[in-house]
Amino acid sequence: MLDTLIAGLLRGNVYALGAVGISLVFGVMNVVNFAQFSFFGLGAMLAWFFITTLGLPFWIALPLVLAICAGLGLIINISVVRPLAKYLPLAAMLSTYAVSQILDNVSQIAFGAQFHAFPQVLPTANLHIGTMRFGTSDLVMLGSTAVVMVVMSLFLKYGKIGRAIRATSQDQEAALQMGIPVGLVQHVSFVIASALGGLAGVFIALYVGVANPASGLNIGLTAFVAATLGGLGSLVGAVIGGFVLGILEAFGIHFFGDTSRQIIIFVILIVVLIVRPGGLLGKIPLISTEPLTGTFLGKGRPLRIPRWVWPVAFVVLGVAIPLSGNDYVLTTGTQVLIYAIIAAGFTVTAGQAGVLALGQAGPIAIGAYVSAMLTLYLHFSFWAALPLAGLAAAIVASVLASPIWGVKGHYISIATLGLGIAIVAIIQLVVPQGIYNIPVPEWFGTALNTPTAYYLIDFGVLVITLLVMWRIRRSHLGKVISSVGSDEVAALASGVRGRNYKALAFSISAFFAGIGGSLLAHQYTYIDTTIFTMLMSLLVVTIVIMGGVGLPYGAVVGAIILIGAMEALRFTPELRIIVYGLVLILVVRFRPGGILVRNS
Amino acid sequence: MNSFIRNVAVAATATVAIVSLAACASGSAPTSSDSAAKSTVYFGVSAAETGPYAQYGQQFKEAFDLAVEQTNAKGGINGHPVALKYEDSQSDPKQSVAVAQKFVQDSSISLVFGDYSSAASIPASPIYTAGKLVQYGFNNSNPDFTAKGSEYQWSTSVTTNASYQWTADYVKKQGVKSVGVTYLDTADWGIPAYNAFKAEAAKVGLKITDAEGVLDTSDDYRPSLSNAVAGKPQAFVHIGYGPDAAKIVTQLRAIGYKGTFYGGQDEQSFDGTADAEGAINGAEFLETNPAKEVQTFVKAFKKKYPNEKDVTGFEAGAYDALNVAVAAAKIGGTTRAGILKGFTKVKNVPSVVYGSITFDQSTRRPASPALTPTILKNGSWVAYTK
Repeated sequence: MLDTLIAGLLRGNVYALGAVGISLVFGVMNVVNFAQFSFFGLGAMLAWFFITTLGLPFWIALPLVLAICAGLGLIINISVVRPLAKYLPLAAMLSTYAVSQILDNVSQIAFGAQFHAFPQVLPTANLHIGTMRFGTSDLVMLGSTAVVMVVMSLFLKYGKIGRAIRATSQDQEAALQMGIPVGLVQHVSFVIASALGGLAGVFIALYVGVANPASGLNIGLTAFVAATLGGLGSLVGAVIGGFVLGILEAFGIHFFGDTSRQIIIFVILIVVLIVRPGGLLGKIPLISTEPLTGTFLGKGRPLRIPRWVWPVAFVVLGVAIPLSGNDYVLTTGTQVLIYAIIAAGFTVTAGQAGVLALGQAGPIAIGAYVSAMLTLYLHFSFWAALPLAGLAAAIVASVLASPIWGVKGHYISIATLGLGIAIVAIIQLVVPQGIYNIPVPEWFGTALNTPTAYYLIDFGVLVITLLVMWRIRRSHLGKVISSVGSDEVAALASGVRGRNYKALAFSISAFFAGIGGSLLAHQYTYIDTTIFTMLMSLLVVTIVIMGGVGLPYGAVVGAIILIGAMEALRFTPELRIIVYGLVLILVVRFRPGGILVRNS
Repeated sequence: MNSFIRNVAVAATATVAIVSLAACASGSAPTSSDSAAKSTVYFGVSAAETGPYAQYGQQFKEAFDLAVEQTNAKGGINGHPVALKYEDSQSDPKQSVAVAQKFVQDSSISLVFGDYSSAASIPASPIYTAGKLVQYGFNNSNPDFTAKGSEYQWSTSVTTNASYQWTADYVKKQGVKSVGVTYLDTADWGIPAYNAFKAEAAKVGLKITDAEGVLDTSDDYRPSLSNAVAGKPQAFVHIGYGPDAAKIVTQLRAIGYKGTFYGGQDEQSFDGTADAEGAINGAEFLETNPAKEVQTFVKAFKKKYPNEKDVTGFEAGAYDALNVAVAAAKIGGTTRAGILKGFTKVKNVPSVVYGSITFDQSTRRPASPALTPTILKNGSWVAYTK
């Protein structure tokens, strides 16, 4: 018991450091900063480079790492995050994701992709309590965190800028009116957060013993959960969240095993959010707006599409490409179409109901597995399994999501993110092995497994999806859902039960996600859980934001650009991801509401 | 004015859309030069150059490039020079299927190496089969890659089943009666590997005191490890790769466990981990193997890549794979059909991993592969005889 507790404390220590950085930035800018994830990996790699390659002592390397991370943080904030955060936090969040992709890949080009053994700068196993061994290294880490926390809290309580940070995070506009230089405050917060990220990265590497540029992602995600658990924007909350999560996680793994780690983390998160929708120490605003609401209605209107575009688009996508495209274009096209189906269905949740759900990989996985098993074991035809996959995804995802609709704002994004990851983790527990030889679609005995056939099936499903979405938007129901997204308080005052309609919108999106999953499964003919990652969820969200968050047809444009671009950039394999990130940032910078939404 | 801007915007969007689709097609123009005497033979490589699996993609590329250089210096395939076309799949099925289609329709490609993971390789298999193009998953240790694939899927990797049956036998032979186990909880690799180990252990009477599934993305295994060694096993077995084994062995020693560690991998981060010293593992490839082919390969590799401290099974596997493909093409011819025919005929190809490779035609895997027990001493693996 004692050793599990110590393991949890050491672990929570790292989470707490990361969570403080995330909460700090969120408090003053209202932006969830994905770039923070990259600073974990970057900090570790820089420290490795200074110590192993340049031979610097640890005590010189550490301040250098912190300085570099802080400087990078400042550059990122000045060039990307702040210009966007001023008028659209959502676009800023998306651009931080792009920044993190760029950072990871630059770091990979600079340091190589390999895992490296991290030098043991301090003894790691020279002390013990009972049977549990730990080292000076661990004590130094705990001590450093304690010092950092005390300094931080004194700074926030008595320092001039520290007080300005607190004022800004309480009410940005009021702070501005009182003459507080909000811009400077945001820069300082970003710099501190980035340096803390780097520090946490070094600590992770010290504790774990190996590091590579991508090793920050998982720990970053958990730190993010810790920040949410404590209450986004609350620094004490972040520290408590970090330690609570670390300790509960250690005991959870002790009893249920490492394989249930992600389920444990997100079950804890969801339970806390149901009981305390603002996190452990976060304040629960009486009136809160979803991150997506208002912003888009106020900041832009969809471009009006001339009528002739629809038949032209139909002919180009449905006739010209299948007739003229080669198999490579068609195969890429199938991926574009499937993601367009998933994303178009998702616009009702993200655009109309105003809920930025981040876990669509969950319902996609349900659809894929249900469809695969129905056809493989119960010998359903593909055509029957396809709608059933959608239904199953809608039902299962809705039941699992039902407790979280009282949660608001960014918290619901994190809760759905957790839900998506937990669904995939549960599938992994139930069906640990991959599924092979999933039957391909047939039409009266003819196998429809050529790229053209897949393309046409996907195209047909997409057209149906767009028609359904169009009908929903025009219907009374669609208008009610939109009212929830536009102004939840007004909708509530008019007798609309917001949470029920959010749940409904989510289940509609889950239905189309399930359909998309089924199409993927029958085309790949093999699935396992490594296909349905958090990156898949983020791709769906990115597509929707790229095209215009409330526009189903925008999802088609977003899918063409985002999936097409990855293929189109093949001429520069090494810079592919970096160029992709830059393109994403530029689009978001100049069209923050989406490609098909006019700025106003 | 407004409507003009609007139309321009719409037209621009449509153009972008079409261009990005069309751009996908560029670069795959078939280069079908039929000047028979000297035309270049192209092999495709579908692997991760970026993303989480990029480490392995880089290792493959170095070895492939060396092997191509040597082949061409020796006159290529009956006079045809060999060249490789790389496509980055990130080992992501969404991209590996597109890459597969690109290779299939590029008529100059006569064989494809890859992909790295099963989740990326197996979804691409039907496309290669339909394109009658050999998919040489030289690194796919998942037995189902070939077992559930068609006559176009080949591999020279030892299957996980074979290598972990060997491990169970070997551990037992060392006089060990009980082991604690951790295995990677992955559908395509760790779980089948553990099942094979468990079945063999039961057969030979090796007691598993506790087995914990772990994730390679975790950083902190202490809670799992304290469970795994609670039954005081004589030795410890980890079924996984190098980076996760490095974390596990470090933390295993940190919680005070002292038994022999069976596992790990010849890989930079594991080899450089202090606590990994003394780990024992069955290796397909051993850098310090005194055999002549191995030493020539290691010397040539380090000469070409002076920054690489170690030569591992990943480089060796890729190096062998290219030589097997060249040998097959020499027998059957350089067309797609010719290479397939070559694979069914090829025998005793010199190999730095196995000594020589002959396929078992029913499994499309190497016939009777042997593993060498090795021990990590002073940061490098040497043959272990006891």
